[in-house]
Amino acid sequence: MKIFPTAFTIICLLFIMTVDSHAARENISSCLICHNRMSGKVTLQSGQEIDLRIDASKFQASVHGFLACTECHKKFDENPHVKPSEKVPADIMKISEEIKSKAKIDPVAYSACYSCHEDIYKQVLSSPHGKNITVKHKPDGALCLDCHGSPHYIVKTDNPGSHVNRKNVVETCARCHGNRNLAVKYKMGEDVLVSYNESFHGKKYHLGDRKAPTCISCHGYHDIKRVDNPASPVFGLNKIQTCGKCHKGANEKFVAAFTHKPAGPIPRITQVTLIILTLSVFIFIVSHVILEAYAEIRDAIFRKKRRTEKDESENECI
Amino acid sequence: MNQKMSASNNLPEEVERFNIVFRIQHIVMFTTFLLLAFTGWGLKYADVDVSNWWIRIWGGAETAGIIHRIAGVTMLLDFTWHVTYIIYLFAKGRIKLSARTTIIPLPQDVIDVIHNFLYFVGIAKTKAKFGRFSYVQKFDYWAVFWGMFIIGFSGFSLAFPMLVSYIIPESTKGWIWQVLTILHSDEALLAIVFILFWHFYNEHLKPEVFPMSWTWLTGRISMEELREKHPLEFELMFPDEKDKEKGALNAE
Repeated sequence: MKIFPTAFTIICLLFIMTVDSHAARENISSCLICHNRMSGKVTLQSGQEIDLRIDASKFQASVHGFLACTECHKKFDENPHVKPSEKVPADIMKISEEIKSKAKIDPVAYSACYSCHEDIYKQVLSSPHGKNITVKHKPDGALCLDCHGSPHYIVKTDNPGSHVNRKNVVETCARCHGNRNLAVKYKMGEDVLVSYNESFHGKKYHLGDRKAPTCISCHGYHDIKRVDNPASPVFGLNKIQTCGKCHKGANEKFVAAFTHKPAGPIPRITQVTLIILTLSVFIFIVSHVILEAYAEIRDAIFRKKRRTEKDESENECI
Repeated sequence: MNQKMSASNNLPEEVERFNIVFRIQHIVMFTTFLLLAFTGWGLKYADVDVSNWWIRIWGGAETAGIIHRIAGVTMLLDFTWHVTYIIYLFAKGRIKLSARTTIIPLPQDVIDVIHNFLYFVGIAKTKAKFGRFSYVQKFDYWAVFWGMFIIGFSGFSLAFPMLVSYIIPESTKGWIWQVLTILHSDEALLAIVFILFWHFYNEHLKPEVFPMSWTWLTGRISMEELREKHPLEFELMFPDEKDKEKGALNAE
């Protein structure tokens, strides 16, 4: 069974060699002739598994559908194909070196976003998401694809299919921030997703309120900052301005309502007291109702006669 | 036999319990209560899948929120109207304080509760005797007051947080919002549970009132009900009746 894909790949490769790699549109279609039909995964020398299939129709419907494959895939280290003849620009080479801990498969292609999205890429690299990769050389830390999904299928943010669309963005952030192991590992706020879901903001978001804020409404996105960074929109009194975007006239005492911090002792004591109160009332009313219903039935069956007899005897005494 | 006797003694067949103002206040109260409970339930349990569907019935999250706020404010106004009206009646001398007719809880009510429980389990031979308001009714009434203060105040604060943020002391800002949220949500649940069990059983499901006590529309209760359920008030209203009854029996 494995012979077929291999043979197919070789045929494709032979075909591609005959194609002029400088003609962009032709290049796309040439690459896709094979990559649209391939299935299964290939293991690289580094041990990484990659999926070689590109869904051509989805790719062409994406915002990047007009790009030639080699605009991003500028250089392959383990290239089974002909090497693209263009030289990789120095700034992209530099980024590809910096993000190596993260982009293990094709760091150059991963850095190629920079050629069009220069400002945003710089913001991300200087944010805690980027610095975790470039400075601390960790394999975690969000880069473009972690939030936007595969570059081949990125759609506009107002498209419900986008990973960062309003509908999906909380889930996207939660892939890391709702992960307890990562939260502990990088000393991020734990249970931020839980507290968001329990807040009015989160509840309304899940019920489909179009005005309810998501993570990025308060925290920002590409140039996101740590909560303890004085420049963060949710640091200290910066909240007055941030909350004020929706809550006109927000003041210091009002913005204190918005926090991911777990409930302190007073709210917890209140909650326990109320649970005890509710339970005691519940026990009282339920037992009263049940016993009364029991007494009604009992009286209707057994005591009716006795009561009338008793009433009569009382009357006679008078 | 009772009816005959009533007719012969020129007793009215019914007595007015709640005038038109009280009846309107009650209708506004339960309408807003139902609206608040229906829309609030969806928000409280937003994480349950059904809530999404439920809130869409109410016109989506935004519309449900507006319904909830309007109903909440209306309920608070209704409550204010009720309290003002009671004070007005009191000032005019149209209601007087008396142990047999007051709705204020008295030590006797605790005794009545114990008495009735003893009757339910078969130890006491008779039920407790009530004045105008039994402890069941007093509990129903004051539960609304409790709800108004706890849920009403917290709800108002959550609906108009900016306004309330100027009033709350600086030292409370760290926890007050969480406390208000907990108060509103938990006490609302208590109120719903209370209405569902206490009020529904006593005013709707009990065999003698099923499907409901019509007093909320007519404002009246029958002489028979007054005599049986509120004997102390009956004696107070018709002090001669007991003697007449005795007289009639003796004559027979």
